[in-house]
Amino acid sequence: MKLWKRSVNVRVGLLYLLPSIILFSMFVFYPMAKTIYLSFFLTNQNGLPVYFNGIENYTYIFSSDEFRNSMKATLLFVIYTVPVSVLIALIMAILANEKLKGIGFYRTIFSSTMGISVAASAVVWLFLFHPSVGAFNNILKAINLPAVQWLLDPEWALLSVSLTTIWMNIGFNFLVILGGLQNIDESLYESATIDGAGYFTKLRRITIPLLSPTLFFIITISLINTFQSFGQIDILTKGGPIQSTNLVVYSIYKEAFVNYQFGTASAQAIVLFAVVLIVTILQFKFGERKVHYQ
Amino acid sequence: MSNLKKLFAFGLMFVLMLIISACNGEEAADESDQTKGETEENTAPANGEKVKIEFWHAMSGPNQQAIDDIVADYNASQDKYEVESLFQGSYEESLTKLRSVGGTADAPAIMQVFEVGTKYMIESGYIEPVQTFIDKDGYDISQLEENILNYYSVDDQLYSMPFNSSTPVMLYNKDAFAAAGLDPENPPETFEEVKAAAEKLTNGDMKGFSILLYGWFFEEMLATQGGLYVDADNGRTGEVTEALFNGEEGRRVFEFLKEMNDAGTLGNFGSVWDDIRTAFVSGQVAMYLDSSAGISGVVESAPFEVGAAYIPHSEEADRNGVIIGGASLWMMNGISEEEQAGAWDFMKYLQTAPVQAKWHVTTGYFAINPAAYDEAIVKERWIQYPQFQVTVDQLQDTKPSTATQGALISVFPESREHIVTAIEELYQGGDPQAVLDKAAESTNRAIEIANKTSGN
Repeated sequence: MKLWKRSVNVRVGLLYLLPSIILFSMFVFYPMAKTIYLSFFLTNQNGLPVYFNGIENYTYIFSSDEFRNSMKATLLFVIYTVPVSVLIALIMAILANEKLKGIGFYRTIFSSTMGISVAASAVVWLFLFHPSVGAFNNILKAINLPAVQWLLDPEWALLSVSLTTIWMNIGFNFLVILGGLQNIDESLYESATIDGAGYFTKLRRITIPLLSPTLFFIITISLINTFQSFGQIDILTKGGPIQSTNLVVYSIYKEAFVNYQFGTASAQAIVLFAVVLIVTILQFKFGERKVHYQ
Repeated sequence: MSNLKKLFAFGLMFVLMLIISACNGEEAADESDQTKGETEENTAPANGEKVKIEFWHAMSGPNQQAIDDIVADYNASQDKYEVESLFQGSYEESLTKLRSVGGTADAPAIMQVFEVGTKYMIESGYIEPVQTFIDKDGYDISQLEENILNYYSVDDQLYSMPFNSSTPVMLYNKDAFAAAGLDPENPPETFEEVKAAAEKLTNGDMKGFSILLYGWFFEEMLATQGGLYVDADNGRTGEVTEALFNGEEGRRVFEFLKEMNDAGTLGNFGSVWDDIRTAFVSGQVAMYLDSSAGISGVVESAPFEVGAAYIPHSEEADRNGVIIGGASLWMMNGISEEEQAGAWDFMKYLQTAPVQAKWHVTTGYFAINPAAYDEAIVKERWIQYPQFQVTVDQLQDTKPSTATQGALISVFPESREHIVTAIEELYQGGDPQAVLDKAAESTNRAIEIANKTSGN
C-alpha cells in the first residue's frame, strides 16, 4: 500500500512515457533483440536462421584479421574526420558570424553541403578522384607532381574517403555551430570590449566557453555518424583496396547483403553497438567536464 | 546533478540505439518500399485483356534501351501478352530484391540472373526449370549455341534460358603496337608474350597491360589453362567442399600479374568497368581484358584503332578457351500458369534469329542462336567492327570441359570478393601463393557454411 502511494509519480510518469515506450519497443528494442538472436545463428541462402552456432560468430569475428582490420580502419577514419571537420566548421562559423554586408550569402554557401545527399556528393568526388581524367590528378600533373591513385592505393584510399566525408560533414557542423554562436549574448562582448579585451581574448574567454555545449553536441553526433558511415564508402571504394576502407558498417552490409550471412553480420553489428556505446560513455565522462552550461 | 547527467546519458543511449537500428531498418524498408512501389505499378491494369508478364532485368544504359526496344517489338507482335521490363539495379541488387519476394505471387515471371547466381537459383526453390517447358513444347534447343547451353545445363537439364552471354577478350591499342615496333595484326597469345609486349608498350603515361579488379577475369585465365575453380569437377558432379583455384594454374596467373607489376608494366585502374575503359581510350594502358559486351563502346570512343584478341594463356598449358559470362533468364514458379505460358512464349521470341541479331549488334552480347550470325545486320556490323568476329571465334574454339563449363557454387559472389582482395594484396607486394591460399581459405569457409545451412 505504502509502495503503491509512493510510486504514484513513477506510475504517472510511465503513463506519459507509454507512447514512446511502445514506439521504441517496435522500432528499437525488437530489432535489437532480433539482432542479438541472429548473431548466434548461421543463416541459409534465403537468410533464415537454420544452424545454431553458439558464440562462434563472435569468436570468429574477433579472431578474423578482416574484422580487426575493419575496426582499425573505422577508428582511423573517425580520428581523421571528426576533429578536422569540427575545427574547419568552427573557424568558418566564427568568420561567418561577423556582421558584414552580404554575409548571408557566405552562410548559405558554407552550409550548402548539408543540402547535398551523401550519394550525390560521393559521385562528384568520384569524378574528382578519377585516376586518369579526374580534376585532382590533372592539377597535380599541371604542377609537375606525380599522379596519385586516390582511391586505388591502400595508403591513400582512407584519406581520400575521409577528405570527402569532412567536406560532407562541414555543412551541418557549420550550421549548428553558427546557431550556437548566434545565441551568445551580445552584451557580454560589449562589456568585454569596455574592459579592454582584444579579439582573441574574447574568442577564448567568451565564445569558446559559451559555445562548449554546442561543440559537445556536435562532436558527439559526428562521432556516432562517422562510426556509421556507409554511403560514401559504397560509392567511392566498396571497402577496397585490400579492405583498407572496409569500415565496420560497410563490412556488416557486405556480410549481410552480398554474402547473405546475417549471423556474422549481426554479431558485427552488436560489437559496433558496444564500441559506439563505450566511446559515447567515455565522452560523457571525460568530455562533459569541460562543458560550460549557462 | 549527477542524476541528471545519468539520465541524460541514458537518453543518449536510447537515441543511439534508435540511430543504429534506424540505419539497419531504413535499408530494409527502402528495399521493400521500392519493390512494393514497382509491383503496384505493374498490377495497375494498362490493357484490360492482355496477360501481364513481369520481366526483371539488370541492364542499364544502352543495354536497357536495347531490352526495352525488344520488349516493345514483342508486345506489338502479338496481342495475348504484355511484357513489362523493369530495371532492378545491378545483378547483385536485383537478386537481393528477388530474395524478398521469391516464391510468392509478387515475384516477377521472368528474372535475369547473372551466371554465378545459377547454383543459388537452382537451390532457391523459386524457379521452374525451363527444361519443363522445353519438354512440354517440344522446343528444339539444338539450334542454340552449344557452348552457352553447356554452362546453364546441370545434369543435362537446362534450368534457365541463356540470354545475354559474353566472354572476356583482350583489347589492344593498334597504334601503340605500331609505335612500339610490334605487329598490330599479331597480338600476343601467351603470358610470356604479353609480358614482353607490355615491356615494349610501357612508355611515359602508358602502361602495357591491365585487368579490371574483378574475379571473373581470374576465373577465365584459370579456365583457359584447364584449371578448376572448386572440387567435384567444378561442382558439376557432386557437392563442393573446397576451392582448387590456388593450385598451379591459379599461381601462374598471379605470377604473371606480379611479374608485370614488379616490372612497372601493369596498370591498376580499380574495379569499375568505366574507369579501365577510360584509361584505355585515353591512352593510359595499351592492352587490357574486357567483356565482349564492352567492345562497341570502346571502339566507338577510342581515337585509335582497337584490336581484339583471345585472352592470354600460360605457355605451360594449352588454350582451352573461355567460360560464358553474363546472365540468363529464369522462370519463376509462384506465378499463374497463364503467366508462365506467356513468359515462355517471350523467351522463345528472344531466341529467334532476327531478335538475337539485333541484340548482338546493339549490345555486343553473343547471339544465343548462331543462325543470327547469318543475318544481314550482323554481317554489316562485323565489317564495321571486326572485333566482334574474334569473340565469336574464341567462343566457338572453346574445348568443352568441366573447366570451361565454369564452376557451380552458391557462394560465388563472396568468393569473387576474396579473389579481388588477393589481387590487391599481390599488387602491394604479396606472395602469389600466400595471397591465393588466403583467398582459398576464406572461400572454403563460405562453402562450409553454405553446406552446413543448405538443405535445412
